[in-house]
Amino acid sequence: MITALEISNLVKCYGKRRALDGLTLRIPRYSVTGLVGSNGAGKTTLMMTVAGFLTPNSGQINLLGNGPFDADVHGGRFSILPQDSELPLTSRPLELLTHYGRLQGLSLQDAQKSASAMLEAINLGDRANSPIRSLSHGMRKRIMAGQCFLGNPEIILLDEPLNGLDPREATRMRSFIAKRRNEQTIVISSHNLNDIEQLCDHVAFIEKGKTLRFAPVENMTRKASILVYQLTGMPADMLLLEQTLGEKGKLDFNPETNRLTCHYAEQSIPATELNQRMIPVILSQCGLISITQGSTLEEEYLKHTV
Amino acid sequence: MTPFIHVWRMTCYEWFDALRSRRALVALLLYMATSVGTMYWSISLLQKVEKELASILLLPASEHPGAIATTLWKSKPFQGIMRQVSKNNEVFNDIQGKNPVELIYAWLSFFYMPLLVVLIAANRIPEEMGSGAVRYIAFRTSRGAWVLGKFFGQVSLIALAVIISGLCAYAVARFRLGRYAPVEIVWNMAFWAARAWIYSIPFVGLIMGLSLFTKSASKSTIFGILALVGLAIITGVTTFFRAGTGWCVVLPYIAALFPSDYEMLLWRSSPQPLITGAIFLVTLGFTYLGVGYFFFKKRDL
Repeated sequence: MITALEISNLVKCYGKRRALDGLTLRIPRYSVTGLVGSNGAGKTTLMMTVAGFLTPNSGQINLLGNGPFDADVHGGRFSILPQDSELPLTSRPLELLTHYGRLQGLSLQDAQKSASAMLEAINLGDRANSPIRSLSHGMRKRIMAGQCFLGNPEIILLDEPLNGLDPREATRMRSFIAKRRNEQTIVISSHNLNDIEQLCDHVAFIEKGKTLRFAPVENMTRKASILVYQLTGMPADMLLLEQTLGEKGKLDFNPETNRLTCHYAEQSIPATELNQRMIPVILSQCGLISITQGSTLEEEYLKHTV
Repeated sequence: MTPFIHVWRMTCYEWFDALRSRRALVALLLYMATSVGTMYWSISLLQKVEKELASILLLPASEHPGAIATTLWKSKPFQGIMRQVSKNNEVFNDIQGKNPVELIYAWLSFFYMPLLVVLIAANRIPEEMGSGAVRYIAFRTSRGAWVLGKFFGQVSLIALAVIISGLCAYAVARFRLGRYAPVEIVWNMAFWAARAWIYSIPFVGLIMGLSLFTKSASKSTIFGILALVGLAIITGVTTFFRAGTGWCVVLPYIAALFPSDYEMLLWRSSPQPLITGAIFLVTLGFTYLGVGYFFFKKRDL
């Protein structure tokens, strides 16, 4: 695995409180990684430390194989959407993005072109010359997100990129980010696990300044090893169901939720074949409401962070 | 991209952005109005003094202020008075015979400069740190380039302020004095404007250096005003006790750390003291800024 960002034993203290407590993480290059954690878990501190805004107390950061962030080394190759950071209110979007592009090393023409294209992409082409002061919170947020993608940096950190966007703009932003998959390394911090599940191919659970778990989303949600049947009630004959499944897997019924979970291995039996075997037997005993492949990220997160 | 290009880009943007900021514009207008007002008031005062002098010395009264002042420079008793006022023989020798208009302009430019610097420069850095706007820059360029860009932006804005105020002050002088404010003194006033601009550099360094310690624009302005009051007190103490003995012998060394110690060098005409003064003042400006930057370099944004 080629690593874009490697963090080892990172510690950052605010007074006596350890916001990052020996956090270790390896973000693969060209991955879209989600950072999930409760409020105060250390996600924002982690991003700010990687960006060089905060000085860590100890630990190592290796950004794109060139050590910790250094503007002279990483300038133009790295960008971030920081949380709770206002854009300069007297500036105008086009001129501000052009200025940012210029600082990233783009020529005036390229910077202007990229800035205009970015404003079109975030649906703010008609407000290119309005003072930022006059834009709504959501519009400003789109500019904040858009500035990250100027000049195609290699690694982008997005702290709550969809917060404050209306549903239409959130969808547009989601597809904007999704288009960059496999082209840039993107790290997204969000409380919205559905967004993480849709956008990311890797996910890290962060709690109390540590990485609890880091894995590809597919492994985390076990799409290829779990089938969940939502039933109307308890099946009359569990033994029959187990016999139907045989050696191919293991069944687990939760009487509180009426969920029948089937653990299996995709290599030994595909999900479609398993369903063909199980569904008639289930229907002979009770009603079947839905079938879900794998667990949701939310379920996994709750399970791992109790 | 070299750090110099980053500094240049930051300077250009800072200049552009500062000009657009209402606060900077208000400060510029205030400075301009103050220059105009002070010039107008000074000419009126000069006219009054001349009338009184004319009646005491039994000279024919003139309609134009400045006409008698020019004659007065040649009188020995008047020279003695001016020598006492300037407290510096060399400065007196250099300024004697100069047109009162340019001397008034020089005085007002130097006098109001520190206040103008506080009004214009104190809030630029803390505003961006407080709002978080600095974070959009901090991963694109180094903190050093950002701070230097802001510094040069403010320094160039002050250059604009002295040029505009100089032109306005001359316009008032021309209106009030007619041929006693000849066009030729515009060049001399420009030279005084350049000196006042150099004099502003240590103050910009000091005010911006201090502003690197806070994220609050209002706190930074208060720090700036307190620093000016502190400087005035230190200057007063060092001037008063300079000739003393004992602990007073360290005072000249302490005074050397502050801009007021070099101000009079900028009032001289010969290049040697002028260049020396300019070098010391610019060095002081960068030193003050450097001290602030030393703290800022490692601080959390």
